[in-house]
Amino acid sequence: MEVISYPYFPAHLSRAYIALYTSVTDAGSLRSRIINAATLASPEGDQERELLNFAFVDPRLITSALHVETAVYQAILAAAQGSLRTKTVHSEVLWALNPGNNISEAIRRYGVSDGCTSLLVIRIDSSELQDVEAKMGSVVSGQLVPLTQLGTLTDWAAVKKYHKLNQEAAIKAASGDIQKEHDVVDNIVVSSVAIKSVMG
Amino acid sequence: MTTAGSSPAILTDATHISQGAEAASLKVYKALLHQSSNSESTPVFLKYRFNKQYRHPTLDTSLTRSRIAGEARTVLKCLRSGVHVPGLRLVDASEGILGFEWIEGKSVRMLLGGGAEGEEEIEYSENLPEDEISDETPESELESAYRITPDALMSMIGSEIGKMHLADVIHGDLTTSNMMLHWTSSANSSPSVELVLVDFGLAYTSSLVEDKAVDLYVLERAFNSTHPDSEPLFAIVLEVYGKRVGKEWTSIKRRLDDVRLRGRKRSMVG
Ligand SMILES: Nc1ncnc2c1ncn2[C@@H]1O[C@H](COP(=O)(O)OP(=O)(O)O)[C@@H](O)[C@H]1O
Ligand SMILES: [Mg+2]
Repeated sequence: MEVISYPYFPAHLSRAYIALYTSVTDAGSLRSRIINAATLASPEGDQERELLNFAFVDPRLITSALHVETAVYQAILAAAQGSLRTKTVHSEVLWALNPGNNISEAIRRYGVSDGCTSLLVIRIDSSELQDVEAKMGSVVSGQLVPLTQLGTLTDWAAVKKYHKLNQEAAIKAASGDIQKEHDVVDNIVVSSVAIKSVMG
Repeated sequence: MTTAGSSPAILTDATHISQGAEAASLKVYKALLHQSSNSESTPVFLKYRFNKQYRHPTLDTSLTRSRIAGEARTVLKCLRSGVHVPGLRLVDASEGILGFEWIEGKSVRMLLGGGAEGEEEIEYSENLPEDEISDETPESELESAYRITPDALMSMIGSEIGKMHLADVIHGDLTTSNMMLHWTSSANSSPSVELVLVDFGLAYTSSLVEDKAVDLYVLERAFNSTHPDSEPLFAIVLEVYGKRVGKEWTSIKRRLDDVRLRGRKRSMVG
Protein backbone atom coordinates (compact mmCIF):
# COMPACT_ATOMS: atom_id res chain seq x y z
CA MET A 1 0.00 0.00 0.00
CA GLU A 2 1.20 3.49 -0.78
CA VAL A 3 0.49 6.41 1.54
CA ILE A 4 0.47 9.85 -0.03
CA SER A 5 0.42 12.96 2.10
CA TYR A 6 -1.08 16.29 1.16
CA PRO A 7 0.23 18.77 3.71
CA TYR A 8 -1.65 21.71 2.20
CA PHE A 9 -5.14 20.32 2.75
CA PRO A 10 -7.31 20.05 5.88
CA ALA A 11 -6.47 17.09 8.18
CA HIS A 12 -9.41 14.90 7.13
CA LEU A 13 -8.24 15.13 3.49
CA SER A 14 -4.50 15.01 4.08
CA ARG A 15 -3.78 11.36 3.28
CA ALA A 16 -4.52 9.04 0.38
CA TYR A 17 -4.02 5.33 1.01
CA ILE A 18 -3.74 3.50 -2.31
CA ALA A 19 -3.42 -0.26 -2.78
CA LEU A 20 -3.36 -2.38 -5.91
CA TYR A 21 -4.57 -5.98 -5.82
CA THR A 22 -4.17 -8.59 -8.54
CA SER A 23 -5.62 -12.14 -8.68
CA VAL A 24 -8.86 -10.77 -7.26
CA THR A 25 -11.52 -13.47 -7.05
CA ASP A 26 -14.49 -11.81 -5.38
CA ALA A 27 -15.22 -8.77 -7.55
CA GLY A 28 -18.81 -9.86 -8.21
CA SER A 29 -19.73 -10.22 -4.56
CA LEU A 30 -17.93 -6.98 -3.67
CA ARG A 31 -20.00 -5.19 -6.27
CA SER A 32 -23.29 -6.54 -4.84
CA ARG A 33 -22.13 -5.56 -1.35
CA ILE A 34 -21.50 -1.99 -2.51
CA ILE A 35 -24.95 -1.78 -4.14
CA ASN A 36 -26.72 -3.25 -1.09
CA ALA A 37 -24.87 -1.04 1.37
CA ALA A 38 -26.35 2.05 -0.26
CA THR A 39 -29.88 1.11 0.79
CA LEU A 40 -29.24 -0.68 4.11
CA ALA A 41 -30.90 0.98 7.09
CA SER A 42 -28.90 2.25 10.06
CA PRO A 43 -27.21 1.21 12.25
CA GLU A 44 -26.18 -1.90 10.24
CA GLY A 45 -26.10 0.24 7.11
CA ASP A 46 -23.70 2.76 8.58
CA GLN A 47 -21.39 0.02 9.76
CA GLU A 48 -21.39 -1.67 6.34
CA ARG A 49 -20.87 1.66 4.55
CA GLU A 50 -17.88 2.38 6.80
CA LEU A 51 -16.40 -1.04 5.97
CA LEU A 52 -16.74 -0.20 2.28
CA ASN A 53 -15.65 3.42 2.60
CA PHE A 54 -13.16 3.35 -0.30
CA ALA A 55 -12.99 4.18 -3.97
CA PHE A 56 -12.75 0.92 -5.90
CA VAL A 57 -11.24 1.45 -9.34
CA ASP A 58 -10.76 -0.94 -12.25
CA PRO A 59 -7.01 -0.78 -13.09
CA ARG A 60 -7.63 -1.77 -16.69
CA LEU A 61 -8.57 1.85 -17.42
CA ILE A 62 -5.65 3.32 -15.47
CA THR A 63 -2.47 4.12 -17.38
CA SER A 64 -0.04 4.93 -14.53
CA ALA A 65 0.28 5.75 -10.82
CA LEU A 66 0.35 9.41 -11.86
CA HIS A 67 -3.07 8.94 -13.46
CA VAL A 68 -4.73 7.85 -10.18
CA GLU A 69 -2.75 10.38 -8.16
CA THR A 70 -4.01 13.19 -10.41
CA ALA A 71 -7.63 12.08 -9.96
CA VAL A 72 -7.12 11.83 -6.19
CA TYR A 73 -5.62 15.33 -6.09
CA GLN A 74 -8.52 16.88 -8.02
CA ALA A 75 -11.04 15.04 -5.78
CA ILE A 76 -9.34 16.31 -2.61
CA LEU A 77 -9.22 19.82 -4.06
CA ALA A 78 -12.96 19.74 -4.84
CA ALA A 79 -13.74 18.42 -1.34
CA ALA A 80 -11.58 21.09 0.30
CA GLN A 81 -13.21 23.87 -1.72
CA GLY A 82 -16.73 22.58 -1.13
CA SER A 83 -17.28 21.96 -4.84
CA LEU A 84 -17.78 18.18 -5.01
CA ARG A 85 -19.95 17.18 -7.96
CA THR A 86 -20.73 13.80 -6.42
CA LYS A 87 -21.72 12.60 -2.94
CA THR A 88 -18.31 11.78 -1.52
CA VAL A 89 -14.63 12.41 -2.14
CA HIS A 90 -14.36 8.74 -3.16
CA SER A 91 -17.06 8.88 -5.83
CA GLU A 92 -15.42 12.13 -6.96
CA VAL A 93 -12.27 10.14 -7.85
CA LEU A 94 -14.35 8.03 -10.27
CA TRP A 95 -16.00 11.15 -11.66
CA ALA A 96 -12.58 12.77 -12.25
CA LEU A 97 -11.35 9.70 -14.14
CA ASN A 98 -14.23 9.54 -16.60
CA PRO A 99 -14.07 11.92 -19.59
CA GLY A 100 -17.87 12.45 -19.53
CA ASN A 101 -20.10 14.26 -17.04
CA ASN A 102 -22.37 11.39 -16.07
CA ILE A 103 -21.62 9.92 -12.63
CA SER A 104 -23.40 6.59 -13.20
CA GLU A 105 -21.39 6.11 -16.39
CA ALA A 106 -18.22 6.89 -14.43
CA ILE A 107 -19.10 4.24 -11.84
CA ARG A 108 -20.05 1.69 -14.49
CA ARG A 109 -16.81 2.19 -16.42
CA TYR A 110 -14.23 2.93 -13.75
CA GLY A 111 -15.75 1.20 -10.70
CA VAL A 112 -15.68 -2.46 -9.76
CA SER A 113 -17.39 -4.80 -12.20
CA ASP A 114 -18.05 -8.55 -11.97
CA GLY A 115 -15.22 -9.42 -14.33
CA CYS A 116 -12.46 -7.48 -12.49
CA THR A 117 -9.48 -9.64 -11.62
CA SER A 118 -7.47 -6.72 -10.30
CA LEU A 119 -8.57 -3.73 -8.22
CA LEU A 120 -7.27 -0.39 -7.04
CA VAL A 121 -8.52 0.52 -3.58
CA ILE A 122 -8.28 4.13 -2.41
CA ARG A 123 -9.08 5.75 0.91
CA ILE A 124 -8.88 9.50 1.44
CA ASP A 125 -8.79 10.36 5.12
CA SER A 126 -6.66 11.78 7.91
CA SER A 127 -3.24 10.56 9.10
CA GLU A 128 -4.93 9.15 12.22
CA LEU A 129 -6.72 6.35 10.39
CA GLN A 130 -5.52 2.97 11.76
CA ASP A 131 -4.95 -0.43 10.11
CA VAL A 132 -5.90 0.76 6.64
CA GLU A 133 -4.25 -2.12 4.82
CA ALA A 134 -6.05 -4.66 7.02
CA LYS A 135 -9.34 -2.87 6.43
CA MET A 136 -8.78 -3.06 2.68
CA GLY A 137 -7.76 -6.70 2.93
CA SER A 138 -10.98 -7.57 4.75
CA VAL A 139 -13.12 -6.47 1.79
CA VAL A 140 -10.90 -7.51 -1.14
CA SER A 141 -9.20 -10.86 -1.48
CA GLY A 142 -6.29 -10.75 -3.84
CA GLN A 143 -2.58 -10.23 -3.98
CA LEU A 144 -1.18 -6.88 -2.94
CA VAL A 145 1.31 -5.56 -5.54
CA PRO A 146 3.17 -2.23 -5.94
CA LEU A 147 1.53 0.64 -7.85
CA THR A 148 4.37 0.45 -10.36
CA GLN A 149 2.42 -2.48 -11.83
CA LEU A 150 -0.14 0.03 -13.12
CA GLY A 151 0.38 0.30 -16.85
CA THR A 152 0.97 -3.45 -17.19
CA LEU A 153 -2.70 -4.20 -16.47
CA THR A 154 -4.01 -1.51 -18.82
CA ASP A 155 -6.49 -2.18 -21.61
CA TRP A 156 -5.01 0.45 -23.93
CA ALA A 157 -7.65 -0.01 -26.61
CA ALA A 158 -10.43 0.76 -24.10
CA VAL A 159 -8.55 3.80 -22.77
CA LYS A 160 -8.10 5.18 -26.29
CA LYS A 161 -11.77 4.55 -27.08
CA TYR A 162 -13.15 6.28 -23.97
CA HIS A 163 -10.85 9.27 -24.47
CA LYS A 164 -11.57 9.36 -28.23
CA LEU A 165 -7.89 9.19 -29.10
CA ASN A 166 -7.85 6.91 -32.14
CA GLN A 167 -8.05 9.70 -34.72
CA GLU A 168 -5.75 12.13 -32.93
CA ALA A 169 -2.51 13.27 -34.59
CA ALA A 170 -0.50 12.56 -31.42
CA ILE A 171 -1.49 8.88 -31.47
CA LYS A 172 -0.95 8.49 -35.20
CA ALA A 173 2.51 10.05 -34.93
CA ALA A 174 3.51 7.52 -32.27
CA SER A 175 2.16 4.48 -34.09
CA GLY A 176 4.66 1.68 -34.53
CA ASP A 177 6.45 2.50 -31.27
CA ILE A 178 4.28 0.95 -28.57
CA GLN A 179 6.20 2.40 -25.60
CA LYS A 180 6.03 5.88 -27.10
CA GLU A 181 2.32 5.49 -27.82
CA HIS A 182 1.66 4.46 -24.21
CA ASP A 183 3.62 7.47 -22.91
CA VAL A 184 1.65 9.81 -25.18
CA VAL A 185 -1.69 8.27 -24.19
CA ASP A 186 -0.73 8.47 -20.51
CA ASN A 187 0.20 12.16 -20.76
CA ILE A 188 -3.09 13.02 -22.52
CA VAL A 189 -5.17 10.98 -20.10
CA VAL A 190 -3.47 12.47 -17.02
CA SER A 191 -3.93 15.97 -18.46
CA SER A 192 -7.62 15.27 -19.16
CA VAL A 193 -8.12 14.31 -15.51
CA ALA A 194 -6.35 17.46 -14.31
CA ILE A 195 -8.45 19.71 -16.54
CA LYS A 196 -11.80 18.00 -15.86
CA SER A 197 -13.17 20.70 -13.54
CA VAL A 198 -13.01 23.35 -16.29
CA MET A 199 -14.07 21.23 -19.26
CA GLY A 200 -17.85 21.11 -18.63
CA MET B 1 -9.93 27.63 1.36
CA THR B 2 -7.66 30.57 1.94
CA THR B 3 -8.44 34.00 3.22
CA ALA B 4 -8.68 36.84 0.76
CA GLY B 5 -5.35 38.30 -0.20
CA SER B 6 -3.17 35.41 0.98
CA SER B 7 -1.55 32.87 -1.33
CA PRO B 8 -2.90 29.32 -1.52
CA ALA B 9 -1.24 26.95 0.95
CA ILE B 10 0.53 24.90 -1.73
CA LEU B 11 2.77 27.87 -2.51
CA THR B 12 4.20 28.06 1.01
CA ASP B 13 6.93 25.47 0.34
CA ALA B 14 7.19 26.05 -3.40
CA THR B 15 10.31 27.54 -4.95
CA HIS B 16 9.60 30.86 -6.59
CA ILE B 17 11.27 30.81 -10.01
CA SER B 18 10.49 34.17 -11.52
CA GLN B 19 8.01 36.94 -11.42
CA GLY B 20 6.62 36.12 -14.86
CA ALA B 21 6.38 38.35 -17.86
CA GLU B 22 3.10 39.79 -16.65
CA ALA B 23 4.80 40.63 -13.39
CA ALA B 24 1.80 42.30 -11.78
CA SER B 25 -0.42 39.24 -11.82
CA LEU B 26 1.58 36.07 -12.41
CA LYS B 27 4.21 34.08 -10.51
CA VAL B 28 5.81 30.77 -11.42
CA TYR B 29 7.10 28.11 -9.02
CA LYS B 30 8.65 24.68 -8.78
CA ALA B 31 6.66 22.61 -6.27
CA LEU B 32 5.66 19.16 -5.05
CA LEU B 33 1.94 18.33 -5.03
CA HIS B 34 2.33 15.54 -2.49
CA GLN B 35 4.80 13.28 -0.73
CA SER B 36 4.66 9.56 -1.29
CA SER B 37 5.69 6.78 1.08
CA ASN B 38 7.11 4.59 -1.70
CA SER B 39 8.42 6.70 -4.52
CA GLU B 40 10.19 9.95 -5.02
CA SER B 41 7.76 12.70 -5.94
CA THR B 42 8.29 14.46 -9.21
CA PRO B 43 8.11 18.25 -9.16
CA VAL B 44 5.56 20.29 -11.05
CA PHE B 45 5.77 23.73 -12.63
CA LEU B 46 3.11 25.98 -11.06
CA LYS B 47 1.70 29.15 -12.56
CA TYR B 48 -0.18 31.25 -10.07
CA ARG B 49 -2.37 33.94 -11.55
CA PHE B 50 -3.32 36.05 -8.58
CA ASN B 51 -6.00 38.67 -8.33
CA LYS B 52 -5.07 42.26 -8.78
CA GLN B 53 -6.52 43.80 -5.67
CA TYR B 54 -7.49 47.09 -7.24
CA ARG B 55 -10.02 45.64 -9.64
CA HIS B 56 -13.51 44.41 -8.96
CA PRO B 57 -13.01 41.19 -6.93
CA THR B 58 -15.80 39.02 -8.42
CA LEU B 59 -15.08 40.19 -11.95
CA ASP B 60 -11.40 39.52 -11.30
CA THR B 61 -12.10 35.99 -10.14
CA SER B 62 -14.19 35.13 -13.16
CA LEU B 63 -11.60 36.62 -15.51
CA THR B 64 -8.86 34.60 -13.85
CA ARG B 65 -11.06 31.50 -14.06
CA SER B 66 -11.63 31.87 -17.76
CA ARG B 67 -7.96 32.57 -18.50
CA ILE B 68 -6.91 29.50 -16.53
CA ALA B 69 -9.53 27.37 -18.29
CA GLY B 70 -8.52 28.77 -21.69
CA GLU B 71 -4.80 28.11 -21.21
CA ALA B 72 -5.48 24.58 -19.94
CA ARG B 73 -7.81 23.72 -22.84
CA THR B 74 -5.32 24.97 -25.41
CA VAL B 75 -2.55 22.88 -23.87
CA LEU B 76 -4.77 19.78 -23.99
CA LYS B 77 -5.60 20.50 -27.62
CA CYS B 78 -1.87 20.71 -28.41
CA LEU B 79 -1.20 17.43 -26.59
CA ARG B 80 -3.89 15.65 -28.56
CA SER B 81 -2.50 17.11 -31.79
CA GLY B 82 0.99 15.82 -31.07
CA VAL B 83 2.56 19.23 -30.38
CA HIS B 84 5.25 18.90 -27.71
CA VAL B 85 3.93 20.82 -24.69
CA PRO B 86 4.17 20.10 -20.95
CA GLY B 87 1.31 17.87 -19.73
CA LEU B 88 -1.22 19.27 -17.26
CA ARG B 89 -0.99 18.08 -13.68
CA LEU B 90 -3.30 20.36 -11.71
CA VAL B 91 -6.01 22.86 -12.53
CA ASP B 92 -7.39 24.97 -9.69
CA ALA B 93 -9.43 27.65 -11.39
CA SER B 94 -10.80 29.05 -8.11
CA GLU B 95 -7.33 29.88 -6.81
CA GLY B 96 -5.89 30.66 -10.23
CA ILE B 97 -3.33 27.85 -10.27
CA LEU B 98 -2.16 25.71 -13.17
CA GLY B 99 0.29 22.85 -12.61
CA PHE B 100 2.36 21.43 -15.47
CA GLU B 101 4.71 18.54 -15.99
CA TRP B 102 8.18 19.74 -14.94
CA ILE B 103 10.42 20.10 -18.00
CA GLU B 104 14.06 19.48 -17.16
CA GLY B 105 15.93 21.62 -19.62
CA LYS B 106 16.76 25.11 -20.74
CA SER B 107 15.00 27.75 -22.73
CA VAL B 108 16.09 28.19 -26.33
CA ARG B 109 16.81 31.81 -25.47
CA MET B 110 19.50 30.74 -23.00
CA LEU B 111 20.91 28.12 -25.35
CA LEU B 112 21.26 30.67 -28.14
CA GLY B 113 23.04 33.05 -25.82
CA GLY B 114 20.17 35.50 -25.34
CA GLY B 115 20.62 35.62 -21.56
CA ALA B 116 17.83 35.49 -19.05
CA GLU B 117 14.55 37.19 -19.87
CA GLY B 118 14.59 40.80 -18.71
CA GLU B 119 18.35 40.66 -18.14
CA GLU B 120 18.76 43.92 -20.01
CA GLU B 121 17.43 45.69 -16.95
CA ILE B 122 19.77 44.01 -14.49
CA GLU B 123 22.74 46.34 -14.38
CA TYR B 124 24.86 44.78 -11.65
CA SER B 125 25.57 41.78 -13.87
CA GLU B 126 28.11 43.90 -15.72
CA ASN B 127 30.11 44.32 -12.54
CA LEU B 128 30.61 40.60 -11.96
CA PRO B 129 34.26 39.59 -11.47
CA GLU B 130 35.79 38.14 -14.62
CA ASP B 131 36.24 34.61 -13.27
CA GLU B 132 32.56 34.21 -12.46
CA ILE B 133 31.61 34.46 -16.09
CA SER B 134 31.54 31.08 -17.75
CA ASP B 135 34.01 30.52 -20.58
CA GLU B 136 31.72 28.13 -22.36
CA THR B 137 29.73 29.81 -25.06
CA PRO B 138 26.04 28.91 -25.16
CA GLU B 139 26.38 27.47 -28.65
CA SER B 140 28.86 24.97 -27.37
CA GLU B 141 26.49 23.99 -24.54
CA LEU B 142 23.84 23.31 -27.16
CA GLU B 143 26.22 21.03 -28.97
CA SER B 144 28.08 19.47 -26.04
CA ALA B 145 25.20 18.88 -23.63
CA TYR B 146 22.30 18.44 -26.03
CA ARG B 147 24.32 17.15 -28.97
CA ILE B 148 22.43 19.10 -31.57
CA THR B 149 23.48 21.81 -33.96
CA PRO B 150 21.79 25.22 -34.14
CA ASP B 151 20.42 24.18 -37.55
CA ALA B 152 18.81 21.08 -36.06
CA LEU B 153 17.34 23.20 -33.28
CA MET B 154 15.82 25.58 -35.84
CA SER B 155 14.24 22.73 -37.70
CA MET B 156 12.71 21.40 -34.47
CA ILE B 157 11.23 24.85 -33.82
CA GLY B 158 9.75 25.03 -37.34
CA SER B 159 8.30 21.58 -36.97
CA GLU B 160 6.56 22.21 -33.60
CA ILE B 161 5.09 25.54 -34.70
CA GLY B 162 3.92 23.88 -37.90
CA LYS B 163 2.10 21.15 -35.96
CA MET B 164 0.59 23.76 -33.65
CA HIS B 165 -0.75 25.87 -36.53
CA LEU B 166 -2.09 22.75 -38.26
CA ALA B 167 -4.17 22.28 -35.10
CA ASP B 168 -5.34 25.92 -35.49
CA VAL B 169 -3.68 26.97 -32.24
CA ILE B 170 -2.16 30.47 -32.28
CA HIS B 171 0.44 30.86 -29.53
CA GLY B 172 0.23 34.62 -29.20
CA ASP B 173 3.67 35.05 -27.58
CA LEU B 174 6.18 33.08 -29.64
CA THR B 175 9.62 33.94 -28.30
CA THR B 176 12.71 31.86 -27.68
CA SER B 177 11.95 32.13 -23.91
CA ASN B 178 8.76 30.19 -24.50
CA MET B 179 10.55 27.21 -26.03
CA MET B 180 12.59 24.70 -24.09
CA LEU B 181 14.95 21.89 -24.99
CA HIS B 182 14.08 18.81 -23.01
CA TRP B 183 15.91 15.53 -22.57
CA THR B 184 13.43 12.68 -22.69
CA SER B 185 14.21 9.15 -21.71
CA SER B 186 11.60 6.49 -21.21
CA ALA B 187 11.95 2.89 -20.09
CA ASN B 188 12.37 1.22 -23.46
CA SER B 189 13.41 3.87 -25.92
CA SER B 190 16.73 5.62 -26.27
CA PRO B 191 16.99 9.13 -24.82
CA SER B 192 16.28 11.96 -27.20
CA VAL B 193 16.07 15.71 -27.25
CA GLU B 194 12.67 17.31 -27.74
CA LEU B 195 11.68 20.90 -28.34
CA VAL B 196 8.81 21.86 -26.02
CA LEU B 197 6.56 24.91 -26.47
CA VAL B 198 5.46 26.55 -23.20
CA ASP B 199 3.41 29.51 -21.95
CA PHE B 200 -0.03 29.36 -23.61
CA GLY B 201 -1.34 32.24 -21.51
CA LEU B 202 -2.09 34.34 -24.59
CA ALA B 203 -2.97 31.50 -26.95
CA TYR B 204 -6.24 31.12 -28.82
CA THR B 205 -7.81 29.04 -31.56
CA SER B 206 -8.00 30.37 -35.12
CA SER B 207 -7.69 29.01 -38.63
CA LEU B 208 -7.01 32.43 -40.18
CA VAL B 209 -3.91 32.86 -42.34
CA GLU B 210 -3.48 36.35 -40.88
CA ASP B 211 -3.27 35.03 -37.30
CA LYS B 212 -0.71 32.40 -38.25
CA ALA B 213 1.39 34.94 -40.17
CA VAL B 214 1.37 37.36 -37.22
CA ASP B 215 2.38 34.53 -34.88
CA LEU B 216 5.43 33.88 -37.10
CA TYR B 217 6.22 37.58 -37.36
CA VAL B 218 6.29 37.91 -33.57
CA LEU B 219 8.86 35.11 -33.45
CA GLU B 220 10.91 36.65 -36.23
CA ARG B 221 11.05 39.94 -34.34
CA ALA B 222 12.03 38.11 -31.15
CA PHE B 223 14.84 36.34 -33.00
CA ASN B 224 16.14 39.55 -34.51
CA SER B 225 16.16 41.45 -31.25
CA THR B 226 17.61 38.81 -28.90
CA HIS B 227 19.85 36.84 -31.25
CA PRO B 228 21.97 39.03 -33.53
CA ASP B 229 22.74 37.67 -37.00
CA SER B 230 20.03 35.06 -36.70
CA GLU B 231 18.55 35.60 -40.17
CA PRO B 232 19.99 32.42 -41.71
CA LEU B 233 18.81 30.47 -38.67
CA PHE B 234 15.30 31.85 -38.89
CA ALA B 235 15.17 30.92 -42.57
CA ILE B 236 15.49 27.28 -41.52
CA VAL B 237 12.59 27.69 -39.07
CA LEU B 238 10.38 28.93 -41.91
CA GLU B 239 11.53 26.29 -44.36
CA VAL B 240 10.69 23.40 -42.05
CA TYR B 241 7.48 25.11 -40.91
CA GLY B 242 6.41 25.42 -44.54
CA LYS B 243 6.94 21.72 -45.19
CA ARG B 244 4.90 20.86 -42.09
CA VAL B 245 1.85 22.99 -42.88
CA GLY B 246 1.80 21.92 -46.53
CA LYS B 247 -0.47 23.62 -49.03
CA GLU B 248 -1.44 26.51 -46.73
CA TRP B 249 2.19 27.66 -46.64
CA THR B 250 1.93 29.65 -49.89
CA SER B 251 -0.75 31.94 -48.49
CA ILE B 252 0.80 32.18 -45.01
CA LYS B 253 4.14 33.10 -46.61
CA ARG B 254 2.54 35.79 -48.74
CA ARG B 255 0.71 37.15 -45.71
CA LEU B 256 3.92 37.13 -43.66
CA ASP B 257 5.44 39.45 -46.31
CA ASP B 258 2.45 41.81 -45.89
CA VAL B 259 2.79 41.74 -42.12
CA ARG B 260 6.51 42.57 -42.35
CA LEU B 261 5.71 45.51 -44.63
CA ARG B 262 3.05 46.80 -42.22
CA GLY B 263 5.59 46.42 -39.40
CA ARG B 264 8.21 48.46 -41.26
CA LYS B 265 5.75 51.20 -42.17
CA ARG B 266 4.65 51.41 -38.57
CA SER B 267 8.20 51.71 -37.31
CA MET B 268 8.97 54.42 -39.92
CA VAL B 269 5.98 56.45 -38.81
CA GLY B 270 6.52 55.80 -35.08
N1 LIG C 1 6.74 23.06 -17.55
C1 LIG C 1 7.86 23.73 -17.29
N2 LIG C 1 8.88 23.13 -16.61
C2 LIG C 1 10.02 23.80 -16.33
N3 LIG C 1 10.25 25.08 -16.68
C3 LIG C 1 9.29 25.73 -17.35
C4 LIG C 1 8.05 25.10 -17.69
N4 LIG C 1 7.27 26.01 -18.34
C5 LIG C 1 8.00 27.14 -18.42
N5 LIG C 1 9.22 27.00 -17.83
C6 LIG C 1 10.28 28.02 -17.73
O1 LIG C 1 9.79 29.11 -16.97
C7 LIG C 1 9.80 30.32 -17.76
C8 LIG C 1 8.56 31.16 -17.47
O2 LIG C 1 7.37 30.42 -17.70
P1 LIG C 1 6.22 30.94 -18.67
O3 LIG C 1 5.15 29.90 -18.72
O4 LIG C 1 6.83 31.33 -19.97
O5 LIG C 1 5.62 32.22 -17.90
P2 LIG C 1 5.95 33.79 -18.07
O6 LIG C 1 6.68 34.02 -19.35
O7 LIG C 1 4.62 34.45 -18.07
O8 LIG C 1 6.75 34.10 -16.87
C9 LIG C 1 9.88 29.83 -19.22
O9 LIG C 1 10.53 30.78 -20.01
C10 LIG C 1 10.67 28.54 -19.10
O10 LIG C 1 12.06 28.78 -19.12
MG1 LIG D 1 7.01 33.10 -21.07
